[in-house]
Amino acid sequence: VARERNGSAIVLCLDVGIAMSSSAPGEESPLEQAKRVMTKFLQRQVFAESKDEVAVVLFGTDGTKNNLASGDQYQNITVHRSLMLPDFDLLEDIQNKIQLGSQQADFLDAIIVGKKFEKRHIELFTDLSSPVSEDQLEIIIANLKKTGTSLQFFLPFPVDGADGHGDTSASIYPQLHQNSPPRKRLTAQQKEGIDVVKKLMHTLDEEGGLEEIYTFRESLERLAMFKKIERRPVPWSCQLTIGSDLSIRIVAYKAKVKKIWTVVDAKTLRKEDVKRETVYCLNDDDETEVQKDDTIQGFRYGSDIIPFSKEDEEQMKYKTEAKCFSVLGFSRSSQVQHCYMGNQVLKVFAAKDDENAAVAFSALVQALDELNVVAIMRYAYDRRCNPQIGVAFPRIKDAYECLFYVQLPYMEDVRQYMFSSLKNNKKCSPTVDQLSAIDSLIDSMNLVYEDVDGETFEDLFKPSKIPNPHFQRLYQCLQHKAFHPNEPLPPIEQHLLEMLEVPCVVKERCKAPLEKVKALFPLKDAGKKKEEKTAQDIFKDDEDGPNAKRRKIEDEEDSFSIMKLAEGNVTSVGSVNPAEDFRILVRQKNADFKDVSQQLINRIDQFLENRSSQYYMKGINCIRAFRGEAMKLSKVQCFNDFLQALKSKVEDKALADFWEIVVQGKNLALAMGH
Amino acid sequence: MADWVSYYRGDGPDEEEDGEQQEEEGQEAVADHRFSGRDSLIFLVDASKAMFEPYEDEEAATPFDMTMQCIRNVYTSKIISSDKDLLSVVFYGTENNKNSADFKHVYVLQELDNPGAKRILELDQYRGDEGRVLFRETFGHNADYSLGEALWACSNLFSNVGVRLSHKRIMLFTNEDNPHANDSAKAKLARTRAGDLRDTGIILDLMHLKKLGGFDISLFYRDIISVAEDEDLGIQPDESGKLEHLMKKVRAKETRKRALVRLNLYLNKDLSFSVGVYNLIQKAYKPYPVKLYRETNEPVKTKTRVFNGKTGSLLLPSDTKRAQTYGNRQIVMEKEETEEVKRFDSPGLFLIGFKPLSMLKQHHHIRPSQFMYPEESLVTGSTTLFNALLMKCLEKEVMALCRYIARRNTPPRFVALVPQEEEVDEQKVQIAPPGFHIIFLPYADDKRNVDFTEKVPANREQVDKMKEIIQKLRFKYRTDSFENPVLQQHFRNLEALALDMLEPEQAEDLTMPKTEEMSRRLGNLVEEFKQLVYPPDYNPEGKVAKRKQAGDGQAEKKPKIEISEDSLRSYVQSGTLGKLTVSALKDMCRHYRLRSGGKKQELIDALTEYFSGR
Repeated sequence: VARERNGSAIVLCLDVGIAMSSSAPGEESPLEQAKRVMTKFLQRQVFAESKDEVAVVLFGTDGTKNNLASGDQYQNITVHRSLMLPDFDLLEDIQNKIQLGSQQADFLDAIIVGKKFEKRHIELFTDLSSPVSEDQLEIIIANLKKTGTSLQFFLPFPVDGADGHGDTSASIYPQLHQNSPPRKRLTAQQKEGIDVVKKLMHTLDEEGGLEEIYTFRESLERLAMFKKIERRPVPWSCQLTIGSDLSIRIVAYKAKVKKIWTVVDAKTLRKEDVKRETVYCLNDDDETEVQKDDTIQGFRYGSDIIPFSKEDEEQMKYKTEAKCFSVLGFSRSSQVQHCYMGNQVLKVFAAKDDENAAVAFSALVQALDELNVVAIMRYAYDRRCNPQIGVAFPRIKDAYECLFYVQLPYMEDVRQYMFSSLKNNKKCSPTVDQLSAIDSLIDSMNLVYEDVDGETFEDLFKPSKIPNPHFQRLYQCLQHKAFHPNEPLPPIEQHLLEMLEVPCVVKERCKAPLEKVKALFPLKDAGKKKEEKTAQDIFKDDEDGPNAKRRKIEDEEDSFSIMKLAEGNVTSVGSVNPAEDFRILVRQKNADFKDVSQQLINRIDQFLENRSSQYYMKGINCIRAFRGEAMKLSKVQCFNDFLQALKSKVEDKALADFWEIVVQGKNLALAMGH
Repeated sequence: MADWVSYYRGDGPDEEEDGEQQEEEGQEAVADHRFSGRDSLIFLVDASKAMFEPYEDEEAATPFDMTMQCIRNVYTSKIISSDKDLLSVVFYGTENNKNSADFKHVYVLQELDNPGAKRILELDQYRGDEGRVLFRETFGHNADYSLGEALWACSNLFSNVGVRLSHKRIMLFTNEDNPHANDSAKAKLARTRAGDLRDTGIILDLMHLKKLGGFDISLFYRDIISVAEDEDLGIQPDESGKLEHLMKKVRAKETRKRALVRLNLYLNKDLSFSVGVYNLIQKAYKPYPVKLYRETNEPVKTKTRVFNGKTGSLLLPSDTKRAQTYGNRQIVMEKEETEEVKRFDSPGLFLIGFKPLSMLKQHHHIRPSQFMYPEESLVTGSTTLFNALLMKCLEKEVMALCRYIARRNTPPRFVALVPQEEEVDEQKVQIAPPGFHIIFLPYADDKRNVDFTEKVPANREQVDKMKEIIQKLRFKYRTDSFENPVLQQHFRNLEALALDMLEPEQAEDLTMPKTEEMSRRLGNLVEEFKQLVYPPDYNPEGKVAKRKQAGDGQAEKKPKIEISEDSLRSYVQSGTLGKLTVSALKDMCRHYRLRSGGKKQELIDALTEYFSGR
């Protein structure tokens, strides 16, 4: 079968033979363990959107289903799933459908069946309890070698008695290590199996063969982390130019992947059902709608708004001539520190298959490195793109030489803030004692050990070895939701949190110095923990104490005279006493909350147009009344939508001072639904 | 690639790509106007005759011209970066007067308002020789002014503004160091007024200009100026004789610094002090376009509705959910849940430990760095602890490693706090503030492997030639060296339209290499370098011949290298065989039945030996 995508193929061969169910008391059966390893592995593949296709072959099944089966050959082997991209159906399948068989099957046979896919990787999960016929071993090995198929074994126990190499390689997650469970004695059959496996793996790869045998436990640890989507960076070919006469052919790489959330209808869960439309209306009383064709584009120029049609803008705007990567000059590298912009590094190499370019490029990289200077570059990705200014600095490794390019700010991007001097200020000069306390704190929290030879370092905390917890958490939640759409999110996994913590050694070591620092530096909470409130906070803050809030609202309503209700002469929300009118109207029989609240909203809008604090207060009272009634009459959504709309309105009209009142005001936050 | 095509903030996929980043930048803008009111700045300009007298030794602009140029620059840069700020220009020492209190010799040219095209045009009128004449005719000069009254007029301007002001600043431009030397009453009034300003939180900066014999602050201005508490360097910058220097002084103070966030730095869970985090770099975007009604050019309101395409009913925020698709399955979450996923801990910086500064890898850049300075308002005593930490980190050449959560729904990042020592330049203007740079460190997933090109190391001679080239093209990079040509052109176009100019002024594109100057400086070096590295027939501009034949991946026939024996001999004689490619050398070795394996140098040696032996 011709394959368009260039992923490889992985065949998971799982032993479901009868022996896979036996386990020490209190321990998971080898089958369950194997299923967990497979699940973890597949989850990683799914979330990494790997292009590798996966097949599942079971051996030891009661039935037989494979192309090779004939007579008594290749019996009790079932191709459970052919090569396909892994998906959640497969995951569910493994959880729920794969059951223990009552038979035994030769794992070598399974390899042969697996190999029939003629692809690249075979992963075998077995406890080696079934009899093995060694007669075909040589042929199998020859075949595997010929097709370049790799083989990995996953066993419930280590092959060499010790726990293998997994412990060292997983040492960045030391907290994952539990004590080894009590080990069962291996059967003679299993021992024989081990010998075959060893022989097999050793012949396949003399040096590394045995390292391809894993225990279930170490695999689980290794697979505990999700993999992020991997995309091949896109090459970008260009010439690096120095002046008008010197060009060097280069290729550069950048890539960025981020999955985004799509908006779907809450009922149908279809994104096609969510449509957006934008309408334009004049700023008059009736909000007269105008057609899109009747609008033109303009830009603010300070206080002025300048009409500037798209066509004119297109014609007059700055045009990038062509893609380029041009040296503007060279600077000392210390001059460009700490002012990098952008969110990525471009890795630049000499063009492929061009030795002349490689030599010229090498000369540049080495020269920069030896002089400790960097190149200041103009970089434009292509004609449609805006040019950047950036810095290219050299990096020389054993295998390659390259330039790293990072964007630099334009003059317009720089904030030249000035900060008070700390040196020339007696008030904040630390004493000798204070300084020495900090000195010992720094020493005690040193994360890097110099080895005896003074050349190599041991780093206790390497962020670059930690998977981004955001993605780990996201995938954990997505996976949870995939299987349990209606349950709340699971808690954050403990091991994830632990990875982000201070290493235990350091935590212990710095205890005393920290006490000293605490004693020597008088620190006092200034009390005015003025949280910088953002709109987001307001929209969230109803989580704390809705009861307290509700009581207040009720208090307030005492001031509202019931008598007015009886008067019955209020027919619409007037401008004199809008909040009260509103309260009366919504209490009337047949009152249409939507309609009445729209009247109120119109009033609020009017008040805002006036832009004076006196009217603001009126507006605020209206909002408060609106919220109170909405909560009472379970029309919370009505109010919340209004508040959202108000927020954007306020932004449009630069009514910052009004919004400020809203933000600080009591009982004005988003209402809670019931 | 869309992030390169589009330049509007949040337009297209760009928004998603830089999601995290943009969120934070947006957040600052929120904090800006909504909660703290507008920033305001009055340029108070001495208009006495001395300001219009040219400096002797230079043909440079007069102090007044320099001042006006500087103010104009602030106007245009405010339009680009913060057009909500209010600006005003007031002259004192004029014959005529115009101000709300009818003070003599004080002329309010422009009330506090947003900068706009017409105001810039107005400022431009008073520049140069013609401007000087016009100024004299319009305002005249009179030395009988009272600085106290001028300050009072400014304070009136602040109080007459309808909107709330968060930051009030006066920049005083003068080259007279003792204006009321013979009038102690006026001097006293000026001091009193200056005191009043200080009490009401108005900052008064002196932008003193070069004066014959030197500008002596101690004569008068020491008691007048009020330094903002958070900008106290303990020293005063020098007087300015050049626009560049004046701009530097003005630029350091023209924008109000605002903390992105104020939070605690935890040394452990119950020991913390507070810091403010600042963006010293923030991308300036081309502003959004505004929709206007074609008939009247008035702005229209834009309303966006979300509705169900089938039923047509409006969808409230709660009627939608968020989804991602993995493994053939659409996974759905509530919008709140997508936020919750990002929540790990409350905001703060949490100290992990210290590492030598040398372990910071500059190619590990993932996001622009931020800047950290102590914040006394949350925890008193923070500054001293911060200062001690800064001093010791500088001394021991270490950085602090922290876990950083900037706000509630932001996932943690690891950052290196890199100490920076305060630096002032020779004119005593701060060029590097004291504090820590917050450098974001990559996670395992941030690192990518790319398909690198195998290296072919250049030889000593080639590297040295390149070094010569580099040395010829050195300059001192400064963060304000380059203007954004796209933004500049955009605003110049607007300016031209606003002012009914026929043609927009063409912005000089500083990002273009100055090729003529470079060629002049480089002379023959480029040719020499090319002879060392490139064979004569090599054209780096040309397309690479596709080496692989389409279709059969079978052993492709290598094109026979056609280098005559004569030319080969000349290569050998000139010792320039190294310019040929390895494959070419191999082919030739094969041709002459020499050993055709091994490193490039071995091939060259073989050929050289072969030819020199004959």
